[in-house]
Amino acid sequence: MVKFEFGRSRIVIRYGNSKFEWTIEPRYWRNPLLAVLILLAIPMLIHQQPGMLTLFTIANIYAMIAIPLSWQIIGTGRINFGPQFFVGLGGYTAGLLSIHYGLTPLQTLLIVILVCLVFGLVLSLLTLIAGGLYFSLITLILPLIFLEITFIYGDIFRGESGIGGIAPLISLGSIKLNYLVCCYISLAIALTYMLIVDKIFRSRWGLKMAAINDNEDVARMLGVDVNKYKIVTFTVTSIFIGIAGWFIAHYFTTFSGVTYLPINYLIKLLLAVIIGGRGSIYGALAGAYFITFVEEMVKVFGPIHYVIFPTLLLGLIFILPEGLWGIYRKHKYREYYPSIRIRRR
Amino acid sequence: MMPLLNIINVTKRFGGILAVDNVSLSVNEGEIVGLIGPNGAGKTTLLNLICGIYKPDSGKIEFNGKDITGLPPHKICKLGIGRTYQIPQPFPDMTAILNVAVSVLNRTDSANMSLGDALLEASYYLEFVGLLNKRDILARDLTLWELRKLELARALATSPKLLLIDEVMAGLNPAETLSAVRLIKRAQEEFHVTVLWIEHVMKVIMEAADRVIVLHYGKKIAEGKPDEVVKNERVVEAYLGGKYA
Repeated sequence: MVKFEFGRSRIVIRYGNSKFEWTIEPRYWRNPLLAVLILLAIPMLIHQQPGMLTLFTIANIYAMIAIPLSWQIIGTGRINFGPQFFVGLGGYTAGLLSIHYGLTPLQTLLIVILVCLVFGLVLSLLTLIAGGLYFSLITLILPLIFLEITFIYGDIFRGESGIGGIAPLISLGSIKLNYLVCCYISLAIALTYMLIVDKIFRSRWGLKMAAINDNEDVARMLGVDVNKYKIVTFTVTSIFIGIAGWFIAHYFTTFSGVTYLPINYLIKLLLAVIIGGRGSIYGALAGAYFITFVEEMVKVFGPIHYVIFPTLLLGLIFILPEGLWGIYRKHKYREYYPSIRIRRR
Repeated sequence: MMPLLNIINVTKRFGGILAVDNVSLSVNEGEIVGLIGPNGAGKTTLLNLICGIYKPDSGKIEFNGKDITGLPPHKICKLGIGRTYQIPQPFPDMTAILNVAVSVLNRTDSANMSLGDALLEASYYLEFVGLLNKRDILARDLTLWELRKLELARALATSPKLLLIDEVMAGLNPAETLSAVRLIKRAQEEFHVTVLWIEHVMKVIMEAADRVIVLHYGKKIAEGKPDEVVKNERVVEAYLGGKYA
């Protein structure tokens, strides 16, 4: 039978021979299970207001991009300024295939993964030939070129208005139910990304990636196959970010390059990574939620919120150099966790 | 007997500067070979050529009977060449033990080693150099002497056959110098490594090395037993200038 023992600082649950211990002392409340349960409960609590649900889904979309992005920054040792290129790639691939060939979301997902794999592999060569500022500049230009293409070939991409009429992700009859299930799907994707990246960071591959992030040349001297790690990291994270684009296209049933490809979308993504905590993926999740809700809050100030929002976030970067996660995390270096280093070379 | 490292007529140019000019040398197994020379003689360049950071313009480098000219550094490392840097280059955001664990994980015999096992193995190397009590301190907080020891542990953890040491003594006080020499001697005995040692502190290298090679302006000008080399006219001329020789 299940037995409960209530100690002063812990609850012990016994079942047969197995024992589950839960420490109540607040500084040990780092239970990922607890965080996941809270996240799973949020959509149920707010399911009466579709506006809030959409907001939560948008936050999850930010997380779906910010988590692979922080992995990419650490695994390649370079800051990618064009993650939205793959958002656009995934979104347009899914949208155009869905409209013109009538493919279902699952079919488009496969093709999106394939397309992002090919583009990711080709663009991963950039990590070998360029580093530091030059890599950032090259990647910054890529989505802008894509944006130009959506205007030049306007009859296909409809650069200004965006493509519409994409097959919805799910259709369950009730609109409210659709919103709720989509919200859970977005949360599931974000949490899966977090689980994968967390497992990788805590493994021996994570340590090698951290070595690449710290000092690439020394890592090479110690026998790390740097090029292989950079190519694999860039390609896999590109696929992850492309899937976020696929989700956007099918969730909103429209996709426009003007929304997702310009620099102001990039700034929100990078701020989600930095404000969450440099390189910490839990922080990236927290940062994504933080950015979404702050953006919504400052809208009460009227049109001036376009100024207030970035100013507030820039201020936060100075106040919290370790990010939101830095408030929570104590310096316990034995549990190694890589953090982003910015290199100029 | 076949030499462990064999460098045959290696030349390296940087633009118009001839950094290493037609140098040939060989290092036998189990030796400590000192590589000395005035500043800018091309010692570190030669080390970088062996490690694969630079490719030689001409010539050939053989290690353990295998041609390693132009191989990428990580493959050369896996063949069994470890090195330390003149200016210590640790991974600053990692703890000391994780610095060593990186090189443990990249050995050829640790293909399926878990992170925990690697940390255990790394603690052995840290204990060898005497840094085990500092294992949880970030590398950026260590002193110069501790960083030097960390570099040595990191190089030994790749299980090298040949250890390239680049000026461990620079910036150390006499007591630390003494223990550094002891440490390298002990590493040679315990791990059966061959040492190619660049050094500026003459007293140390004359005592420790079995054989000394002198470079000057990228050329090899002398080779032999330490006491023979110091009497060599060309070596004295290179160090003090022709006027005093």
